[in-house]
Amino acid sequence: MRYVIIGTSAAGLAAAEVVRARDPEGSISLVSEEEHLPYSRPLLTYLLGREISPEKIFLKTADYFAAWGFTPVLGKPVVQADPEAHTVTLAGGEVLPFDRLLIASGARPRRPDIPGLDLKGVHTLRNLVDVERLEADLPGDGGEVVVVGAGAVGLKMADALVTRGLRVRLLARGAQPLTRILDQVSAELLMAVVQEKGIDLHLHSWPEAVLGENGRVTGVALNNNREVKAQAVLFSVGVEPRVEFLAGTDLAESDGIRVDSFMRSKTPDIFAAGDCCVPKHLLTDQHTSFHIWPAAVAQGQVAGANMAGGRRRYDGILPMNSISLKGFRLITGGHFTPDTGDGEIFTDLDRHRRRYRRLVFQAGRLVGVTLVGEVEQAGIYFQIMAQKLPMSALPVDLHSAEFHPGKLWG
Amino acid sequence: MKTVIVHPERCVGCMQCRLACAVEHSKSKDLFGALSEVVRPKARLRIYPGRQHLAFPNKCRHCDPAPCQQVCIAGAISRTPAGTVQIDPDRCINCAMCAMACPFGVLTFGATAKAPEKRAVALKCDQCPERQAVGRVPACVEACKVGALTFGEVGESQVDKGQAIAHMVFKSLKAEKEAGPPEPEMVALWRQLA
Repeated sequence: MRYVIIGTSAAGLAAAEVVRARDPEGSISLVSEEEHLPYSRPLLTYLLGREISPEKIFLKTADYFAAWGFTPVLGKPVVQADPEAHTVTLAGGEVLPFDRLLIASGARPRRPDIPGLDLKGVHTLRNLVDVERLEADLPGDGGEVVVVGAGAVGLKMADALVTRGLRVRLLARGAQPLTRILDQVSAELLMAVVQEKGIDLHLHSWPEAVLGENGRVTGVALNNNREVKAQAVLFSVGVEPRVEFLAGTDLAESDGIRVDSFMRSKTPDIFAAGDCCVPKHLLTDQHTSFHIWPAAVAQGQVAGANMAGGRRRYDGILPMNSISLKGFRLITGGHFTPDTGDGEIFTDLDRHRRRYRRLVFQAGRLVGVTLVGEVEQAGIYFQIMAQKLPMSALPVDLHSAEFHPGKLWG
Repeated sequence: MKTVIVHPERCVGCMQCRLACAVEHSKSKDLFGALSEVVRPKARLRIYPGRQHLAFPNKCRHCDPAPCQQVCIAGAISRTPAGTVQIDPDRCINCAMCAMACPFGVLTFGATAKAPEKRAVALKCDQCPERQAVGRVPACVEACKVGALTFGEVGESQVDKGQAIAHMVFKSLKAEKEAGPPEPEMVALWRQLA
């Protein structure tokens, strides 16, 4: 059996390892346009903030591919995947035939449609090479930088840049960061920390143009006719799936490759996993795109098992995120508000200790959770949500301050 | 795999295991030394008030496959050849992804003497590798005075527990014919310890 896997990050490697465990003989080719050894994408902001040393970004050692019997095809982007002919064509004309294909090509940062993006000093952060570019291009101590988009990545980028001694302006389009996953109370707790760190958060702000002189960024024109100075601009305004090599096929839609519960695309021999795929939501059963490392690993493992002839089911994606800004911890997941009228939102705030618990219930089940400050038991809440346990089946009331492992299992 | 096995029905919540755990994870491995260390050591297991039992010790189960290991974005969580799930404090970035994945809520965050330059990393039971290397049982097991924490094979412990329950059921069936109220489970277990 010839397996071809496009992508050597979370989903691709997880799948390859599962395939190898089930099929010791088959040939497994791992294709990536990046030449580096597999590395951890979420650590890029930590690398930028010099919180980790450069070698810690790599997740595998140099002998990884050989030890697992994988054929690495690195530094070669895929230009076309042909589901009819069962081939993948690489830049340079090389053609890889496959019996089973996994598309784990990930996503690329979105760029807004504004003038000035071709100026030197405009960046996004997605690949290891982006950090190298940033290292070479960022202004020195006291320089001014604008980060556009106050999502999870934008916040971490702003944090990293402030740690490097830069003056950071962080632009949030709405009245708070993370509008879709945080309520006002948790957003206020987060914003207080952002401010303490010295990040200059601009609410209700977005760029209308990047300004420059002699091909180099000098500032950003904001909405409401404002202008701020900047020697560099970083965009973190979401990502889009990398599926351009599927042009001419019906596999990909604008938000990615739709997959069934077995991580299979419309074509039976082609699977997809990770940021480029659109799996079903664990709670709503609707196709939902949500990008996070742990989900990519889980999807990769399911896809790998099914590629090698297994029949493993993916439970579905449960949106979740952990935001950690040195000492401040925030974990959210599931629904932000109930879907139905009979829903309930329960909150429990300890402002003094900066602890907050927000639970969303619907039809007698937990469907959403936000924890700020004390997040140790987050996994228990997620497990209750993922297993769709009715509240009546729990030995202790979720609303209670007594909700802890002792009352659950002791 | 040999692991620390929790018997919540025996726990009285004295917290001696927590003290022993913190001391074992200090630099000096000595209670009085630990108190004056720059990085104050933290226990890796917690005792909660229980529902059916007096107290409930909650600690890492060293799951296989381990959800925390699968979600770790820093590659800091691995499994030792002996089967223990361990966290490398040098690689840990304190992102709390593991807390999001752990279905038992056993992770805590704090400083450790193993990486004193970091303000906080994820901490959990490591089954005392340094003690095991010299043939000693983990510190919490040694400290437990009531047999609520034992060190052994999970499978064997399950068999023992099953037999104990069967024995008790058999005894209580016989006891019904005789006079006197049935003995509560707690009392029977306490007797076994003697």
